[in-house]
Amino acid sequence: MIKLNHLTKSFNSLVAVNDVCLEIPPGELFGFLGPNGAGKTTTIRIMAGLIQPSSGSAVIDSWDISRNPVEAKQITGFIPDRPYLYGKLTAQEFLRFISGLYHVPPEDTEGRIAQLLELFNLTPWGDELIEGFSHGMKQRLVMASALIHKPRVLIVDEPMVGLDPAGVKLVKRIFRGLCETGVTVFMSTHTLEIAEEMCDRIGIIQDGRLIAVGNVKELKETSGAVGKRLEEIFFKLTGEDKLGELVETLRP
Amino acid sequence: MNQVVCLLYPKIVGFKNRLSIKDRSVIIKLALGITLGLCFWAGIFAVFYRVLVYLKGIEALGDILAAKLLSMVFITFLSLLIFSNIITALSAFFMSEELQLIISSPVDNASLYGTKLLETMVNSSWMVLLFSLPVFLSYGIAYKQHLLYYCVLIGTMIPFIIIGAILGTGIALGLTIVFPAKRIKDIMILLSLILGIALYCLFRYVQPEKLVDPESFRTVVEYFASMEAPTSAFLPSQWATDAVAALLFRGHDGALFSLLLMWSTGLAGMVLLQRFIEKFYFAAWTKSQEASSAKLSRHTVVKRMLNRMLTKLPAPARSVITKDLYCFMRDSSQWSQLLVLSAIIFIYLYNFSVLPLEKSPFPTIYLQNFISFLNLGLAGFTLSAVAVRFAFPAISIEGESFWIIKAAPLDLRRFMWCKFWLNFVFLLVLAEGLIICSNYLLRVGSFMMLVSSVTIALMTFGITSLSIGCGAIYPRFDVENKAQIPTGFGGLIYMILAIVFIGIVIVLEAGPVYMVLMAQLRRASLQTVQLIKIGIAFTAVLVINAFVFYLPMKIGIRKLSALEKY
Repeated sequence: MIKLNHLTKSFNSLVAVNDVCLEIPPGELFGFLGPNGAGKTTTIRIMAGLIQPSSGSAVIDSWDISRNPVEAKQITGFIPDRPYLYGKLTAQEFLRFISGLYHVPPEDTEGRIAQLLELFNLTPWGDELIEGFSHGMKQRLVMASALIHKPRVLIVDEPMVGLDPAGVKLVKRIFRGLCETGVTVFMSTHTLEIAEEMCDRIGIIQDGRLIAVGNVKELKETSGAVGKRLEEIFFKLTGEDKLGELVETLRP
Repeated sequence: MNQVVCLLYPKIVGFKNRLSIKDRSVIIKLALGITLGLCFWAGIFAVFYRVLVYLKGIEALGDILAAKLLSMVFITFLSLLIFSNIITALSAFFMSEELQLIISSPVDNASLYGTKLLETMVNSSWMVLLFSLPVFLSYGIAYKQHLLYYCVLIGTMIPFIIIGAILGTGIALGLTIVFPAKRIKDIMILLSLILGIALYCLFRYVQPEKLVDPESFRTVVEYFASMEAPTSAFLPSQWATDAVAALLFRGHDGALFSLLLMWSTGLAGMVLLQRFIEKFYFAAWTKSQEASSAKLSRHTVVKRMLNRMLTKLPAPARSVITKDLYCFMRDSSQWSQLLVLSAIIFIYLYNFSVLPLEKSPFPTIYLQNFISFLNLGLAGFTLSAVAVRFAFPAISIEGESFWIIKAAPLDLRRFMWCKFWLNFVFLLVLAEGLIICSNYLLRVGSFMMLVSSVTIALMTFGITSLSIGCGAIYPRFDVENKAQIPTGFGGLIYMILAIVFIGIVIVLEAGPVYMVLMAQLRRASLQTVQLIKIGIAFTAVLVINAFVFYLPMKIGIRKLSALEKY
C-alpha cells in the first residue's frame, strides 16, 4: 500500500532523509520512531505531498506522490503534529470545506460530519469558531477531517500530542479499527509504549537512515536486547543508551 | 533595573540580528525602504516649508495660521500616538507570546511594567517621531530659529511621547479589565479606521482648492477668523503647541511653563500608571487568557445565498471560495478595509463631480476626453492599490493552514485560479464602476467610454494576475496581523510592476486616442497611416495585457508548488 523507494531529501548540505526503502502492506499499523531531527517529519511530509523528495519516490497504492499527487492524496488522510487550522471557520464549516476538497459526495457530507463530530466528542462545539479551541480539540478536529473522505492510507505525525487520556484511548481504538478494515496507518511517535502496544511493525530512523524495521520481537533480535522493552531496544539501536551517565552529571 | 535590561535583551538582540542579516534580498528591501522613507520625508518637508513660507508672507494672518497649523499637527500626533499606543499596549501587555514565559518567571511587576511600557512607547512612537521631524524642521528653518528652538523641541517631544504612551496604555488596561482583549483590539482597529476615513472625508469636503481661488478668499478669511477660539487648555497637545509656538512667534514667552506642565504630567502619569498596573494587571491578564472570541452568529441566509451562487462550480473550487468568503467576513482586520475602499470610491467620484471644467480656457469637449483618458491611469492605480490590499494577500491569508491545501487532492493551479477569479470579479466590478461613473460625470463621448471601459477590463486581468502571482511568489504565511501582508517586499514589487504596466498601456494608447479625438474635433476622417498606427498600438496593448495576465500566474503557481516550508 505504501512503498518508499530509495527516498532521499536534502536541504542544502544536510541530508534529512537518506535512501530510505520501505514497504507497508494494506491494513498494517506501522510505527515510525527516531530521535529528534532524525528525519521522521521530513519523510512524512514527503509522503503527504507537502515537499518534493530530492531523489527516490513515495508510492501510495501505485500512485507516485510526486507524479500523480492528486490521485495519491485523494486516498490519503494526513494528520500533522501541529494542528494549524482556519480559526475563523466553525468546526462544521471546516469539515464541509475539507469534504469539498476531497470530493466527498454532497449527499454524504452532512451525515459524515455529524458522525465524526460525535466520534471525536466535538458535537457541542460544532458551531463554534476554531480559534477558541484548545490544542487537544484542534487535534481531534484534524483527525476527524483526515477521516472524512474514508482514506485508504492514514499518515499521522505525533497523534497523541495534546490529547487527554480519553482522547488517547479513543485514537488507539480508531486506528486499530481502521487497520482491521484494511486501512494502512503510518504513524510517527515519540511515545514508545504506544508504539509497542499498537504497531504491527516498527521502523527506526536515525540521521536520515532507516536503521531497523520489524515487529518488536524482530527488533529485539536485531539489537540483541532479547527480553527487554522497546524503550531499551530503541536506545540501544540509536546509541542513546549512555543517557543515564549524562543524566547523572545534571545532579545538583 | 537589571530585570528590565534582561527582559529587553531578546528584543535588542533580535533587532540587531535582523539588521546583520547579509541576505541580498534583505539588503535590497532595506535600501528600498530607506529610499522610499527618505522621499516621503523630503516630500513632507518640502510641502510644509512651502506652506510656511507662503503663510509667513501674509501679514497679520500668517502667524495665526502657522500657529493653528502647529496646533493641528500636535493634535493629530497626539491622537495617532494614543490610538497606536492602545493597540500596541494590548499586544505588548496581553497578547504577546512571550508573556507566558515572562509571567511564569520570577519577574516583579515593576520590571514587567517598565519593559512593556518602554516597548509600547518605542513601537508606537518611532514613526510619529520620525515623520514629525521634517514638520518641525521646516518650522525652524522657515522662522529662522536657533539652537534653543531645537532644544525646546526635544524637551517637548520626550514628555509628549511619554504622555501619549501613558494615556494609551492606561486606556488599554482599563478596557481589558472590562472587555476581552481580543475584541478590544478589533474594536480599536475599526475605530481608528473610521477616524482616519472621517478625517480624510472632512478634509476633502473643506475643498482646499478654493484656497487658491481669489473669489472665495473672503470666505476663507472669515473661516480662519472663526478658528481663533482657543483650544482646550487641558490638552497636552495644546501645552506642546504653546511651548514650541512661544519660541516661534512670541519670543520665548510662556515656553518654560508649558514645558514644566508637560514634564510634570508625564512623570506623574508614569507613577500613577505603575500603581494602576500593580493593582489591576494580573486580573486583567487572567481575563485576557480566559476570553475567547465572541460567539458566532449563524449566517443561514448568507450561507444559502452563497450555496446558490456557487452551485455550478466544482466542489473543491466551491469549498475554497466559500472558506475564503467566511474568513473574510469574520476577520475584522480584513473586512474593515472595505470601509477604506468605500471612502476612496466616494472621494474619487466626488472629485469628478466638482471639477470646474467650464472655467478652463481649453474647449470643454477636449478637456473632458483628455481627463477621461488620464482617469484611465488613475483608475488603474486605484485598482492596483485596492488589489494590493485584497488580492495580493489572497495566498498568504491561508497562513500556517496552507498545509491543508498542499495535502489535499487539489491541483495548486486550480487553487490559484480560484483565488484569481474570486478577486477578478470583485475588482472588475469596482474598475468598471469607477470608469463608467466618472465618465458619466465628465459627460464624455461614446468613443472614450468604449475605449476606457474595454481598457480597464483588460487591465483588470493583468492587475489581478500580477497581484495573485506576486502574492504567491512572495507569500507571508507567518504574519500574525493579516493587514500587514501587503506591507512587505512582495507588495512593493507588485505595486512597482503594476504602475509600470499601467504606464505602458496608457503610453501605448495615448497616440491613437489623441488621433481619434482630434479627428472627431475637426470632423475629419482618419488617414490610412493613422489607422495602421492605431491598429499596431491597440494590438500591442492586447499583447502586453495577455502577457501580464499569463506570466505572473504561471510563475506564481511554479513558486508555490516548489515551496517547501509547508
